[in-house]
Amino acid sequence: MSARVVVYILILTLTLSACRSARQTEEPEPAATQVQDTSGSSTTTQTAGDEISGRLVIYSGRSEPLIQPVIDAFNAQHPGVEILLKAGSNSEIANALIEEQANPQADVFITTELFTVQSLAAQGIFQPYRPAGVEQIPAEFIGPDNQWIGLTRRARVIMYNTDLVSPDEAPESIFDLTDPKWKGQIAAAGSTNGSMQAQIAAMRQLNGEQATEQWLRDLIANEVTFFGGHTDVRKAVGAGEFKLGLVNHYYFYLQQEEGSSVDIVFPDQGEGQIGLITNATAVAIVKEAPNTSAAQTFLDFLVSPEGQKLFAELNYEYPLLSGITLRVGVQPLDDFRLADVDVARAAQEFEATFDLMEKVGMP
Amino acid sequence: MQAIRTTRFSLPRRDLLRTSPRLTFAAGLIALFVAVPLAYIFIRALGAEPDAWQRLLQARMWKLMGNTLALVVAVTSGALLTGVSMAWLTERTNLPGRKILRGMLALPLAIPAYIGGIVHLTLLRPRGGFIPQALEAIFGQPVPLPSPIGFWGAAFILTLFTYPYVYLLSSAAFHRLHASMEEVARTLGRTPRQVLWQVILPALRPGLMAGALLVALDILAEYGTVALLRYETFSSAIFIQLSGRYDRSAASILSGVLVGMAIFILWAELRLQGKARFTQMESNWRPVPLASLGKWRLPAFFLVLAVVSASLLVPMTVLIVWSIRAFLDSQTLNMVFRTGSLGFGSFAWNSLWTSSLAATVAVTLSLPVALLSVRHPSRISRLISRFCQVGYAIPGVVIALSLVLLVNRLLPFLYATPFVVVIAYVLRHMPQAIRSSESAINQLSPSLEEAARSLGRTPLQTFLQVTLPLVMPGILAGGTLVFLTSLKELPATLLLRPAGFDTLAVRVWIWAVDGYYMQAAPAALFLVITAALPLYFLLRRERIFR
Repeated sequence: MSARVVVYILILTLTLSACRSARQTEEPEPAATQVQDTSGSSTTTQTAGDEISGRLVIYSGRSEPLIQPVIDAFNAQHPGVEILLKAGSNSEIANALIEEQANPQADVFITTELFTVQSLAAQGIFQPYRPAGVEQIPAEFIGPDNQWIGLTRRARVIMYNTDLVSPDEAPESIFDLTDPKWKGQIAAAGSTNGSMQAQIAAMRQLNGEQATEQWLRDLIANEVTFFGGHTDVRKAVGAGEFKLGLVNHYYFYLQQEEGSSVDIVFPDQGEGQIGLITNATAVAIVKEAPNTSAAQTFLDFLVSPEGQKLFAELNYEYPLLSGITLRVGVQPLDDFRLADVDVARAAQEFEATFDLMEKVGMP
Repeated sequence: MQAIRTTRFSLPRRDLLRTSPRLTFAAGLIALFVAVPLAYIFIRALGAEPDAWQRLLQARMWKLMGNTLALVVAVTSGALLTGVSMAWLTERTNLPGRKILRGMLALPLAIPAYIGGIVHLTLLRPRGGFIPQALEAIFGQPVPLPSPIGFWGAAFILTLFTYPYVYLLSSAAFHRLHASMEEVARTLGRTPRQVLWQVILPALRPGLMAGALLVALDILAEYGTVALLRYETFSSAIFIQLSGRYDRSAASILSGVLVGMAIFILWAELRLQGKARFTQMESNWRPVPLASLGKWRLPAFFLVLAVVSASLLVPMTVLIVWSIRAFLDSQTLNMVFRTGSLGFGSFAWNSLWTSSLAATVAVTLSLPVALLSVRHPSRISRLISRFCQVGYAIPGVVIALSLVLLVNRLLPFLYATPFVVVIAYVLRHMPQAIRSSESAINQLSPSLEEAARSLGRTPLQTFLQVTLPLVMPGILAGGTLVFLTSLKELPATLLLRPAGFDTLAVRVWIWAVDGYYMQAAPAALFLVITAALPLYFLLRRERIFR
């Protein structure tokens, strides 16, 4: 019997030591990264004297695979800082930031569209910061009082599988997606996806509440399959599970890179049509962030030519910093007529967008 | 029994039977700890603006309730049917290979349903899945196959990974069932079919009810599988609300209703369970002769094999193949085994220590409650014990929501630490610890404790020196269960994890929903094996592996 007691006590002490060492791991981990990264950091420029340290907590509405390479590049330059990432949907993270207002945990918030940062800025969640070189970013992509900074631009496009759809057949407008001939053949992201939320918010402003409601109802009636995210959408279109997908432009390029037979339509370019809907990713520093100095260095990196280049190269995005070349093959936005959306107004009316999605029962 | 003994002992007995205020206090505190998150959700739900209620009642509530109940009913029936038939075939017939099949039928418990769902989805998804594509390549044209997406897909996958609850409980019942009962029924002129309906099934009823209850509550709480297969239930709708508007009242309302449904199911089980008790004398127990399947022997074997394949062999094979491919591909391998908080070692370790800590805490907290309810039975002690088991009825997403709100307000220093995750595990899985501890203490005759007391030991000394060592195996079994289920937990961990703190379950989920199956496979495989090992020992203890 006493052997069993020994076993029990052993388990107890093991678990206790487990949680103690789990707390301790926070210390040795940066050291480990340091060892690993010394090889990479020799090639990168490093500003001497103001090296940051500690932990940098990043909340990201961008999915992890799309942001991790950029974080890794930053970490290679600043091996002294331990970066902790929590990725989720924009509004899930926004909810967390609101909840944590009195007890801030995060240093930096990265989002996939501007309406969420704008409405959080209006609630006083962020602190202003003006990164070096920000003058090269168009003023409309900088939040009031520098509370958030735009990073990259993306367009809402239609991608299609060229084995199943010929270029003549491909829809020219997002309003063609409600055509019954595409019934059950379209994939899109659902109501939890930031880019989709932002598209609907933009359409409310461009076409009005009623037309947008009708469009959503028609999409649902047309048996559009709503996935949790766009990676699913692009893979499904690439595999020929669906003929069409409503995505951000870079998902098309990512799928093309994998060797799928897909093509892209930048929709609504005709006379009287709404134009190409675009949005931008943005970054902000949380008010009373535990590690403001590291957060500022991170923002400097993101708007630097080096950081902007990463977004353009790794993810086919349109950098907001002027003078950065696009990745070869990406069609520049100057070629298109863009829809004009008032960010501040869309942010104010964001709540109504959620009401609308709920009202039509969008999954 | 208790009443008879009181007359035999005089001094220590009175002492033992008297309600122990300190024990009641401790158990009451534990019940309070469990009750706070639950009460908080109800308060939030009832305190939500009428607007939010109205919007939900108009647009979503009834559809969600219909969806959720339909899935609960379908999966519970499916699990009952599969579980009982598998138990009967392996316990009562001359099925070939029944000994090894017995264990294999129980092992799917180690596979979280969403991992099974991911595997089946990649194999079966319409047009893009492995099987439809292979068939198309063979026949030159698409072959219509049932889709794993939506209601039927969710019902199928969830049945595959929940039937082991029913299977384990009913095969134990089959095993215990007395041969003479059936013989008497047969000699009284009942046909074998009548014996099944009039004798066997009624005798199995307590086990079946318990199994059905576990399945039903599991389905109410299920998040990963239904989200994956795009079938909206309350749990997934709460998740969507949390990633929608900046307002948690809608999520609180849905949570309140969901917990209400779960409590209703618990209550219904209590009512249906009835007062029927089946007493058997252990002394003249002998095994029931095996039924001969005759010409059905082979078809029955293939039926069992199909169930084992779909729920165990296929998922394991796919995970192993993916893992091997991940190991052969250096880029994927680098992603899996990187250093820092995203490395395999880090999240595997996180899974292990949070689950072990949760198991230890849950077992420790279960002891006073179990001791009180078994040794000092009264209305209050029963109430406390029942109350502590309400965690079964609170889905992970609801526990997470209430903990986020509560901890951030009341215990801000604990907020965004892994310990909140551990608290969620403890709250959610404590019922397993309490039930195991109660049954372990119940099997121990109080006379041993009375002897210790009459020899001058204090109650605490008696507990530590006599009771605890004797009930330790049963308690460890409870701890193993808590460890196992905590390891598999997904929704609460997803919502409560601090930045940079991932567990195996979370990593598998994040990678798999983004389509990085190869990357997710080694973590999934490690998770399943880590869960299967303690399960194996548990099953050996319960003599499932004989």
